[in-house]
Amino acid sequence: MKYLAEYRDTDIARTLIARIKARVTRRWTLMEVCGGQTHTIVRQGLDELLEGAVEMIHGPGCPVCVTPLEQIDKALAIAARPNVIFTSFGDMLRVPGSECDLQQVRARGGDVKVVYSPLDALALAQRHPEKEVVFFAVGFETTAPANAMSVWRARELGVSNFSVLVSHVTVPPAITAILEAPDNRVQGFLAAGHVCAVMGYTEYEPIAAKYKVPIIVTGFEPVDILEGMAMAVNQLEEGRHEVENQYVRSVRRTGTEPARALVAQVFELANRQWRGIGEIPMSGLRLRDEFAAYDAERKFGVGGLKVTEPEACKAGAVLTGRIKPPQCPAFGTLCTPERPLGAPMVSTEGACSAYYNLAKYRTSESAEAAS
Amino acid sequence: MCLGIPGKIQSIRDDAGLAMGIVDFGGVRRDVCLQYVADEVAVGDYVIVHVGFAITKVDEDEARRTFEVLKEMSQLDELQWMAEVADASLKGTEKPA
Ligand code: SF4
Repeated sequence: MKYLAEYRDTDIARTLIARIKARVTRRWTLMEVCGGQTHTIVRQGLDELLEGAVEMIHGPGCPVCVTPLEQIDKALAIAARPNVIFTSFGDMLRVPGSECDLQQVRARGGDVKVVYSPLDALALAQRHPEKEVVFFAVGFETTAPANAMSVWRARELGVSNFSVLVSHVTVPPAITAILEAPDNRVQGFLAAGHVCAVMGYTEYEPIAAKYKVPIIVTGFEPVDILEGMAMAVNQLEEGRHEVENQYVRSVRRTGTEPARALVAQVFELANRQWRGIGEIPMSGLRLRDEFAAYDAERKFGVGGLKVTEPEACKAGAVLTGRIKPPQCPAFGTLCTPERPLGAPMVSTEGACSAYYNLAKYRTSESAEAAS
Repeated sequence: MCLGIPGKIQSIRDDAGLAMGIVDFGGVRRDVCLQYVADEVAVGDYVIVHVGFAITKVDEDEARRTFEVLKEMSQLDELQWMAEVADASLKGTEKPA
């Protein structure tokens, strides 16, 4: 995969780090939005290498982490039903609900299956017309095209025993919510490259202008991330605040139009709860009325479920960058990847798990710094 | 589930009106829905795949161009750095510490 895997080149990475350090006249605070980028930054220690020049705050872009407790509880309630095959991406299985997780529902006899693609769930429904097959449609704009297609195809093929439990979130309202917070420290964003691959980046242009923050559409390899940081730092030093595209090889300004079009046909904008953060207006997607027959919440009557989140988990503060995971009192003690208390500890894209697994040695340092 | 992976299209077919294909991810092959990029891809092209769907085509020329610019920059910086080190040590011999 020449010229694709090469974005891990260490010479280039070293040069970019030196350039960023030489360019800054003060320390800047940036946020990477996507959990995939958090993973690279923490694993490669990019934030440590840039110490003094750039502080990275890890953003809310891990879909597993922001799926609200009430949607998990709805999933658990549906999955426990006798006639249901409940399907999900693998990383949702261990996200703790109020009582248990999907894996425990399965251990108690629930039929819970992991699928790679929502089309696999649809195929399962075709093979099992005697069962109700439900797919847990979570994620950001990157999974929305796949989930929209599964519903669209179900209708096209007349598969009536298929439905989706939707918990979709979108990035721009989350960025706005972070910028609106009175204690916000973020001065520039690395926008999630693959979200923009689908949606393009025109939505970010008014945000960059209104809040005067550079927003750099950034890829996922170390060199991508460093180049994105360098572009953001350049803008900050020059007093500019524009949307720039670092990830040109995969992102066009208007995104992938057929994908955007189908998402807009199947879903509409709606208010959504974000785990640990609360409700963000018009920050999510729900099925349009014409697809109500495929809405698992309506089919199984779980729409009204409301729950409160546990006090101990500081996911909200972590996901908005107010604290780093090791500053959560439960980090590494009450909460570990083996026994997660909150969702950011479950997924490898979650900030808490990234810190726990990939930078264990930093735990003591940060704990000292925080105390 | 949110990690997108680049892969190379091996074959393309029509599956009851849906463009599907086999995509190779460094040796691992998977069935992928190509519907959203169907108008712009051919066998041999790279796509970014999320949860079984190609969401965008990777522009290989652009990937190469960007990489070469970065690579050149890093080599220039390296040269400059070596020149600075050399200068410093030359000055050092002239002016004993
Ligand atoms: S360490 Fe655990 S309890 Fe603390 S914020 Fe992260 S997920 Fe929540």
